[in-house]
Amino acid sequence: MLKIKDLKAGIEDNQILNGINLEVNTGEVHAIMGPNGSGKSTLAAVIAGKDEYEVVGGSIDFEGEDLLELAPEERAHKGVFLSFQYPVEIPGISVSNFIKTSITEQRKAKGMKPMPTKDLLKMMREKMELLNIKNGYLSRNMNEGFSGGEKKRNEIFQMAMLEPRLSILDETDSGLDIDALRIVANGVNKLKCKDNATVVITHYQRLLDYIVPDFVHVLYNGRIIKSGGKELAHELDQKGYDWITKEADNQ
Amino acid sequence: MSLIENLKSYSEGIKISSNKNQLLNSFFEKGFPTIQDEEWKYTSLKKLISEDYSIEKNGSPLSHLDISNHSLGFKNKIVFSDGKLISTPKIEGITFSDFSDFECSTSDPFLQLNSALANNGFTIKVDSNTIVDGVIEILFFTTTENSFNQYRNQIIIKDNAEVKFVEKIQNLGSSTSFVNHFTQIDCGKNTNVEYNKIQNNTEKSKLIDTMNIFQKEDSTCNINTLIFGGSFTRNNLNFEQNGSNCESNMNGVSILDKNQLADNHTFVDHKQPHCTSNEMYKGVYLGNSKGVFNGKIMVRQDAQKIDAFQSNNNLLLSENSTIDSKPQLEIYADDVKCSHGCTIGQLDEDALFYMRSRGIGITEAKAVLTYAFASEAIENISILEVKLLAQKLLAKKLNVDLDFSV
Ligand SMILES: Nc1ncnc2c1ncn2[C@@H]1O[C@H](COP(=O)(O)OP(=O)(O)OP(=O)(O)O)[C@@H](O)[C@H]1O
Ligand SMILES: [Mg+2]
Repeated sequence: MLKIKDLKAGIEDNQILNGINLEVNTGEVHAIMGPNGSGKSTLAAVIAGKDEYEVVGGSIDFEGEDLLELAPEERAHKGVFLSFQYPVEIPGISVSNFIKTSITEQRKAKGMKPMPTKDLLKMMREKMELLNIKNGYLSRNMNEGFSGGEKKRNEIFQMAMLEPRLSILDETDSGLDIDALRIVANGVNKLKCKDNATVVITHYQRLLDYIVPDFVHVLYNGRIIKSGGKELAHELDQKGYDWITKEADNQ
Repeated sequence: MSLIENLKSYSEGIKISSNKNQLLNSFFEKGFPTIQDEEWKYTSLKKLISEDYSIEKNGSPLSHLDISNHSLGFKNKIVFSDGKLISTPKIEGITFSDFSDFECSTSDPFLQLNSALANNGFTIKVDSNTIVDGVIEILFFTTTENSFNQYRNQIIIKDNAEVKFVEKIQNLGSSTSFVNHFTQIDCGKNTNVEYNKIQNNTEKSKLIDTMNIFQKEDSTCNINTLIFGGSFTRNNLNFEQNGSNCESNMNGVSILDKNQLADNHTFVDHKQPHCTSNEMYKGVYLGNSKGVFNGKIMVRQDAQKIDAFQSNNNLLLSENSTIDSKPQLEIYADDVKCSHGCTIGQLDEDALFYMRSRGIGITEAKAVLTYAFASEAIENISILEVKLLAQKLLAKKLNVDLDFSV
């Protein structure tokens, strides 16, 4: 589904990604871990198409298409979804209006008519139930004044509404309380199927207890320096990063 | 010929009272204001007044379709066609009549000209305790090419009455116009008035709109100004609070492109204690458009416990658009809460990316953020039809097929 080859990207003179190789297939869950500032969010943003970052080398192939050629909205139309580490506040637009616009535009891109409002509201209610979201939330302004946890839940709500093929969850667990973590993870698991894939960026093993990864990667200095199965996350949880980053520094 | 020559030759052919003659002469002596005039510093009339206008009307009659095409659909309509009042509604407790002379002493050249030569307009009297159900729509149509029109309107609202208006000035066909519009509203005690101006005229039309509002105690007056069309728009909105416990509210939204200019001059004269004024103007500028905002708030010595709030927020969405914004506070009382703020900015890049990552195209994302920016002022409008129209016009102006009304 997603093939990243030797991806190099950065901002102005500062190269942040120094040759990333990653392959994600349908039905898989990948976890990306790594110290602060190692480039995890940058990788996610480059996949989603943030043009602030300049790609200076390598390629990203998504279902046989060159993703780097596409605008962010076109990537979304293909089914790429990013749950932001820091979701953006948009005063003046309600959650329901935002999601309606988003779904309408995605459907338009596929040559489909807008979803009837009744169906849309029904779907929203179902997904709200799935994620244990309170009523009254739909009429609030997008992320405005939301608590950290509410913002994260709102990201997963959008994911549930948009039904993407590839979801990248950038630290969706941070800021969530224990119950919310379980609810959100549960939601993600329910949305999982053999046709889509999930990449979770996290610092904590705890999330991976709920969303069990098939692969775990360690990103350091803009490179994946180690990959393994779910047991790698346990090992990192106990030992920290030192033992692998030292090795990488020595090379 | 230029406008002043048009006016001279027109006035030579008519008879007016000596009072009016005096006003006219003082207008001709000084002529139109120039950018040397403090009140017109950022807005040049030069090009406007150098054009040739026809003062006499020679338009064609209106059809029902013309009216329904431009109406917001309210049952109660006042309709003008090239200056002539052609239709008034029947509402219990309200008298509608044609133009009538009323005085206002003024040194403003446009008002002098209006006082001296205007002979079109309406007079509305709302009896005390009348609560008007629904909205009164006022439509001014022009069909004459290059016409110069002056309307002089008066609305008298007696104590405890409540009424809402929507006003539109509209050119039809290929006609263009320069309108010097004046409306005076007298708000009685404990009245509640809302007046909405939809300024969405054709591309070449020009408008100078002056509104003087006199408020008695316990009255509330809301004026909403929506500017989408026209090449030149100058609004002078003046409130005088003559009783305690008055509330004056203003909301403004301008969405301009190409070479449009819109200048909003507001003035609130707080003369009595325990009053509020609340003003929110939002401007969005594309292309080579230009905005001017001048918000004057005067708090006189006896006007204690005043709460005056003013904000002017602007989005410059193109390199060549400009905005000149100037608050002007004169406060002579000491127990006063007065705040004002002006911002000039661009769309938030992070928000744009966020929306695009959700599949919303860049043009649509920009439109949504622009709507979000303006929505605070639009949301303050109490009339659903006006709100929806504002949303529709905004989407049209930004070239998107979006529905903001969820
Ligand atoms: N827009 C930017 N401008 C300047 N530097 C940036 C920008 N974005 C990222 N960087 C830098 O690139 C590096 C990687 O940042 P990134 O946000 O990708 O790290 P991360 O792995 O997600 O970290 P964290 O675990 O703290 O979220 C950091 O040193 C960061 O300061
Ligand atoms: Mg990060």
